[in-house]
Amino acid sequence: MSAKRDSFNGRLRTLLTLAFIAGAVVALRLADIQLLRHDRYLRLAERNRTQVLYQVAPRGRIFTSDGKAVASNAPAFDLYYLSAGPKDDSYLRRLAQDFAPHIGLTSQEVLARLEQSVQSGKATALAENLSPRSVLPIKELQLYYPGLYLIEENKRIYPYDTFASHLIGYLGSMEGDEWKNRDQSLDYRLDAKTGKNGLEKKFEKLLKGRDGGVFLEVDYRGRVHRVIEDRRWRAGDDIYLTLNFDVQRAAEEGLKNSLTGRGAAVALDPRTGAVLALATAPAFDPNMFIPYSDGPQPSSKRISEYNLAIQGVYPPASTFKVITSIAAIEQGDFDPNKEVYCPGYYDAGSRVFKCWGVHQHDNFFDGMADSCDVYFYTLAANTGAAAIEKTQRMFQFGLPTGIDLPGEKAGNLYGPTKRARNRSYWFIGDTLNLSIGQGELLVTPIKMAQFAAAIASKGKIWRPYYLDRIVSNQTGRVLQRGQSQLLGTVDIKPSTWDLIYKALKHTVDDGTARRVKIKGLDVYGKTGTAQNPHGDDHGWFMAFAGRTGEEPSLAVAVFVEYGKGGAGAAGPIARKMIEAYFHIPTEMPKRTAEQQNHVPDADPAVLVSDMRQIQAALRQGVDGEGA
Amino acid sequence: MTKYKSRLHKGLIDWFLFGAMAFLVILGALCIMSAVNAVDFSNAVVRTHIIALPLGFLAFFAAWSFNYQIFDEQWKPLYGIILALLIGVLLFGTYQRGSKSWFVFPFFSMQPAEICRVLTILAAAAFLDRQGRNMRDLRTLVWLGVLIAPVFGLIMLQPDFSSIVITFPALLVLLYCAGVNVFYLALVFAFAAVAGFFTVAWTFLYLHPQWLDYKLLDVFFKLSDHILYMGVFVLLTGLAGYVAWWLFKQLRIFLPSFYFVLATLVVAAGFFAGVFADHQMKPYQRKRVEAFLAPQSDPQGASYNVLQAQIAMGSGGIFGKGLFSGTQSRLGFVPEKHTDFILAVVGEELGLWGTLLVLGLYLVILWRIAVVAYLASDRYGYLVCSGIFGMFLTYMLINFGMLIGLFPVAGIPLPFISYGGSNLVSSMLALGVVQSVYARRITSA
Repeated sequence: MSAKRDSFNGRLRTLLTLAFIAGAVVALRLADIQLLRHDRYLRLAERNRTQVLYQVAPRGRIFTSDGKAVASNAPAFDLYYLSAGPKDDSYLRRLAQDFAPHIGLTSQEVLARLEQSVQSGKATALAENLSPRSVLPIKELQLYYPGLYLIEENKRIYPYDTFASHLIGYLGSMEGDEWKNRDQSLDYRLDAKTGKNGLEKKFEKLLKGRDGGVFLEVDYRGRVHRVIEDRRWRAGDDIYLTLNFDVQRAAEEGLKNSLTGRGAAVALDPRTGAVLALATAPAFDPNMFIPYSDGPQPSSKRISEYNLAIQGVYPPASTFKVITSIAAIEQGDFDPNKEVYCPGYYDAGSRVFKCWGVHQHDNFFDGMADSCDVYFYTLAANTGAAAIEKTQRMFQFGLPTGIDLPGEKAGNLYGPTKRARNRSYWFIGDTLNLSIGQGELLVTPIKMAQFAAAIASKGKIWRPYYLDRIVSNQTGRVLQRGQSQLLGTVDIKPSTWDLIYKALKHTVDDGTARRVKIKGLDVYGKTGTAQNPHGDDHGWFMAFAGRTGEEPSLAVAVFVEYGKGGAGAAGPIARKMIEAYFHIPTEMPKRTAEQQNHVPDADPAVLVSDMRQIQAALRQGVDGEGA
Repeated sequence: MTKYKSRLHKGLIDWFLFGAMAFLVILGALCIMSAVNAVDFSNAVVRTHIIALPLGFLAFFAAWSFNYQIFDEQWKPLYGIILALLIGVLLFGTYQRGSKSWFVFPFFSMQPAEICRVLTILAAAAFLDRQGRNMRDLRTLVWLGVLIAPVFGLIMLQPDFSSIVITFPALLVLLYCAGVNVFYLALVFAFAAVAGFFTVAWTFLYLHPQWLDYKLLDVFFKLSDHILYMGVFVLLTGLAGYVAWWLFKQLRIFLPSFYFVLATLVVAAGFFAGVFADHQMKPYQRKRVEAFLAPQSDPQGASYNVLQAQIAMGSGGIFGKGLFSGTQSRLGFVPEKHTDFILAVVGEELGLWGTLLVLGLYLVILWRIAVVAYLASDRYGYLVCSGIFGMFLTYMLINFGMLIGLFPVAGIPLPFISYGGSNLVSSMLALGVVQSVYARRITSA
């Protein structure tokens, strides 16, 4: 027995040792796969076996302060074919023929999808985003055609169509880099609709919610074996705005029916800076980006995203006379009863500046009420441009209001300091131009509203805010709350405020702003007509109001592009907004008809606002016009 | 002798070996049932396996009760039976999956290549047993080559590469344990390596034609195209051998000149084997080589199988998802789950403990075979056990290696666990022979 082991004694033993070493290596690798990579592989295995029919969660709703849901959700349905049941050709053809009319497709298209589903063995959506209207006939057909699965999801709906469209924004599919840059913490799918603009975009993360889904167990060919889980969606969080539904509505309707249908209207609460209305026209209907697939499709999806209320800059025109007045009164040596004679023009020495009318003898209150340019030319000539510029700075002209919206324009502050910084000269003509709010001076409608609120609150410059609170749909907890924020105060004498109030009240009671005179309210206002060298003049209206004897609780600024005049174009809109806020029934509906034929009685300022022209004229010492 | 007697039990059966085998067989049956539950032909698979199980035990007990020395005495008829079976399958066999390797009978079908593998080992061991002290001689190796060549040739004609993938290493192990000169074994190994190199390289170029832009690679790729190119290559090889011999001579390093002749011959032979394999290779086999060379290149293609198998094992974790609850295998993501990839089912449903258990039982089997080899009462018993040891070692390494990404997917089942009646019966038969060697370790001598 021992003889046979001469030459090969150890060889089998060596191999056995090698086998054990190999076994150890294999064991280590097995541990690597089954221990260290367990989580990853488990995830992959789960992904392998589950197919999810996703259900879009309802987005958080958006409410106005009076509880109206201006962005809500409606049910939408997806029809899936689960590739179970009979698959023969004639069955599929019959199925396609019967379903096609209810899902807005031709029977060829349905048949193609069915065949693709049968071929791949996977659950395929025959139709997505169906309206509830189609559901009843489909449910009925389902009785005769097994293997079809109707799944409910949610679709954004804007019940008041164009309501606050520029503020709320709209939804759209992800385009370009959006998919790559998406928020990975949210469960986006490739066909997800995301906020594209306004609040829908800004609060996307909170509004989105978490999608639900039906989790199906499928085999390697995608054939459905059973339903693993029916996961309920979680609705997004609700947003409550400070907007006043009626005021916003009044503003939008007014703008829409205005002379050009282009403009903006802003209403603020002068006690807090809360935005009560923020309207831009032309508005758009955000519903058209997310139609039901079986409903009418919009012909054109072109809209203007330009939010004039915060992005449009225009000369404030005569509304600026309030600033000129404050500068003059604060300067001292001001007698409100001193009369200025207006022959219809002002002689500035080298050239003549026109007034929009001939006002004869005007004191301060009449000058404001009549918006007499000559009165303010005289005032400005005495006060000086530097003081006017200083007052502008007190009211933070040339700065954005700081409303929490992207793209707000700052406008432009105008005055000798600014001019000096640009290494240029300041002429008396500039002072006169400035006094009536023309020239390089530019403001946005929201700035104008902030300005109105500042006067109404006697000097408080608020940062406008529109967000009241965001409430979790899960817990009911308030996640976020809007904050009133004071940006600054205008520190001037109380007597100055009294004079300004008196003058603005006079303007409403017996002046160019007569249109906003409302029984039971103390309304203060000022019109403005911004000169436009390229076409019709723009109309401004700035007002604030409170119940008689009470502190003002509403500040309004209305702007109508190419509206020809402040009083005629913007005034009625402001009136509607004030009436809506104080719940005063509209009187005299014939006014609208009257107003359309009425030639605006406001104050077209004389000078072209194009500074180069003016400067050129002044340099040459030539009279501009009518000399 | 008395020393051994007193140390050894007088048992007729090695319970370790039998227990490990029985455990694996039962585990395998359960896993097969679990694996095929979700597919349509489930009943057929389970039924076949349930029938094959008693047949396997029958073969095991039959081989155990037989005196193994009869294979030694009657090795020539045995060899005749091998050739007869392989010729028979070529004549009367049925094509399945592109190869003619099945006898189909009314109630069952069998793959003669499986049983022939065990018989070849028995016959080769008998031949080597006769060589005695000529073992270190080159002639022994050549004669064995002559003996085996027809067997491999017939298998190649089916073709059934995976059968050779197991038998060839098993024979190498047998030769090594028999005491053949390691230098000659190295030559055989070099032959296989050269053949393998050419096959893999050509396959790679075949699948990546963009590499042919390099002139040298293009020439290399064309080598297998024409007899003229082959001749040129062989001449160049001969020239290289001569130059090497001359160089060594100039360097005053004196080596027997027939070493150089042998080396040249081996390279040339390997080249021709490579050419042959290249011509025989089917596209799906090329794909498998590709999947092994670059597993990430085509996740939905050939390496998809390995990936899905690894997902199955990895998702099982330590304790597994429980028998009959693996999703990967039962929903069909793991291909060949009841045959080549049965370990993936074990890993998914029984976890790391399951795969380690199978690995451990295999090591127990190998250990016991080696122990029996050393206990054998004669040289033939030792050789038979060595060959069978080599066979199971190869099975284990390739099947586990394939699953963990160390070997290409070769279509090699894991004996005792995988579905496949012929493989089960012949594997159990092999262990029966080992048991027979064990049972007769003392009586004769």
